[in-house]
Amino acid sequence: MASIIEGEKRVFITGNEVAAWAALVAGADIMFGYPITPQNEIMHYWTRFAPKHDLKFLQTEDEISTGFATCGAIQAGLKAFTATAGPGNVLMQEPFGMAEGMRLPMVAIIQQRGGPSSGTVIYSQQEMNLTTFGGNGEGHRIVYSTATHQEIYDYVIKAFNVAWKYRFPTFVLGDGYQAKMREPMVMYDPAARGIEMVPAQKFVGFPGEIGVDRECVNLCNIYSMEEELYDVLEKMESDYQKMTPEVVEYQEQFCEDAEIIIVSHGVVSRAGLDAVKCLRARGIKAGYFRPITLRPFPEEAIRKVAAGCKKVLVVESAINQLQKVVKEHLFGIPLEVHALSRPAMGIIADEIFARYMEISK
Amino acid sequence: MISVEQSKIWEKLPGNRVVEAYVGEYASGKSENAVNRALDLVEKGRKVTLVDLDTVEPCYTLRPLKGPLTEKGIDVIAWETKQLIGLGEAGMVLHPHIPLVLRRPGDIILDVGYGIDGPRTLNLLDGSQTSQDLRVLAVVNIARPLTSTVEDIVEYIRGMGKVHAIINNSHLGNDTDLEIIQEGIRIVTGAARELRIPVEATVIEEKWRELIGSVDSMGNPVRTLRKRFMVDSFW
Repeated sequence: MASIIEGEKRVFITGNEVAAWAALVAGADIMFGYPITPQNEIMHYWTRFAPKHDLKFLQTEDEISTGFATCGAIQAGLKAFTATAGPGNVLMQEPFGMAEGMRLPMVAIIQQRGGPSSGTVIYSQQEMNLTTFGGNGEGHRIVYSTATHQEIYDYVIKAFNVAWKYRFPTFVLGDGYQAKMREPMVMYDPAARGIEMVPAQKFVGFPGEIGVDRECVNLCNIYSMEEELYDVLEKMESDYQKMTPEVVEYQEQFCEDAEIIIVSHGVVSRAGLDAVKCLRARGIKAGYFRPITLRPFPEEAIRKVAAGCKKVLVVESAINQLQKVVKEHLFGIPLEVHALSRPAMGIIADEIFARYMEISK
Repeated sequence: MISVEQSKIWEKLPGNRVVEAYVGEYASGKSENAVNRALDLVEKGRKVTLVDLDTVEPCYTLRPLKGPLTEKGIDVIAWETKQLIGLGEAGMVLHPHIPLVLRRPGDIILDVGYGIDGPRTLNLLDGSQTSQDLRVLAVVNIARPLTSTVEDIVEYIRGMGKVHAIINNSHLGNDTDLEIIQEGIRIVTGAARELRIPVEATVIEEKWRELIGSVDSMGNPVRTLRKRFMVDSFW
């Protein structure tokens, strides 16, 4: 089969389209979806590709069905994915929980919108907690927070591989700005860059007679006794901790001698880096830290950069969601943690600079 | 079929007016070109109405620009946010001035929603099927992945119904270079020839004007953008 992208291709594109293209080149077989802004164009573009590449799409009656249908397709051995936002993300937490409980390599792209409830269709970082820790029963998941269109492409491809390698549901957390914004980026064939895609494997439907040729497959998300579940959870936690050093990702710049670290994630980190450069230009020893994996969180890395500094300023388009996580991971290090929280609003470097001036008085 | 040269002569004749609908692929540059065209016309002292006919993502592109464009003398028909509070993203209500807009005197620039179904929105306008003035211009950027080859552009435009000419708007945003501009000129002209319609113009930013000239390498007129306004828009 000819590759979908020959070599590399420079494009001018929206983030939602990028996500659909990335799923395509990553070898996704099927997308399940239910419309919600600002992720709709992921579905729109997938449905434009699907007939040309003999791929499938199913719009179900709601997000709960979408999530469970995705779980089912994965058990049948298909690389299935979905995308949602806002209230849709809430509804999908139950099937996401099933994916956690059954170790199903589901890939979900979340384009955050404003909330609570329907909020706005535009933008926020208010779904960080929900996407990172949603679902009941302390399930395990991997969450990448992207900042550019290039990263949406790179991390959607990576999400499929990480999900199928480690068998944890994997999320690419974007937002309405990234979804709709247009910017240039380079699309590529993963194979041309030496990225080998992990093949899908079915969970059910193996040949042979159960009890004669093979053991039965016991796919389970409910257990009779506490001890049974406890053993499963212990194994999940152990696998997750073992995986963490191989998966965790972050960015840092100017942190070596920094007295203040600006911490941000996703699209806000673009402003975070601009602000740090602006502060550095004025002789202020500022550093930039950005968790790329919100889960697993780069605890070791942030503790290392924060150890020598006096203050941390956490910047986010939400009310202290990232700040709480940062505080947890910096526990015990004597420094001040400040916040610039603008729920559902974009943040620019000037605002971060102004907040720095406030906390420096 | 009216040629590009004829349309320019037509535009200059007393009493004649420009009526253009900008259609095309998502993020191809329809609003950007519509806004710039409206500004070019109003600067010539013409009466110009700019219409937000985007029913796909209603009012997100022109709405935030309505104030500044009105100040420049353009009559902008687009909702204001306060007029649509509570309708949410799905609440598209056709602005009451839109159905009869073609009866207005002066030039009319229509910014149409994206996709091959976009041009069908023109059916909402009284007289659109019989108008002698209305020219449908497909905006094409070859850096958009689904309109990057002659074959893709031809297929896309054939799916749109009546299109009078193509606007070659090939660019890569801040990464635009001479290579993408020249490739755009070559590919879009190839598609236009296959479709037997003219290239209305190759559109470039001012900084490329000296290198490209007033006529591009395939003989198409060159239009210079005053500014990329969508950077200031909603998304």
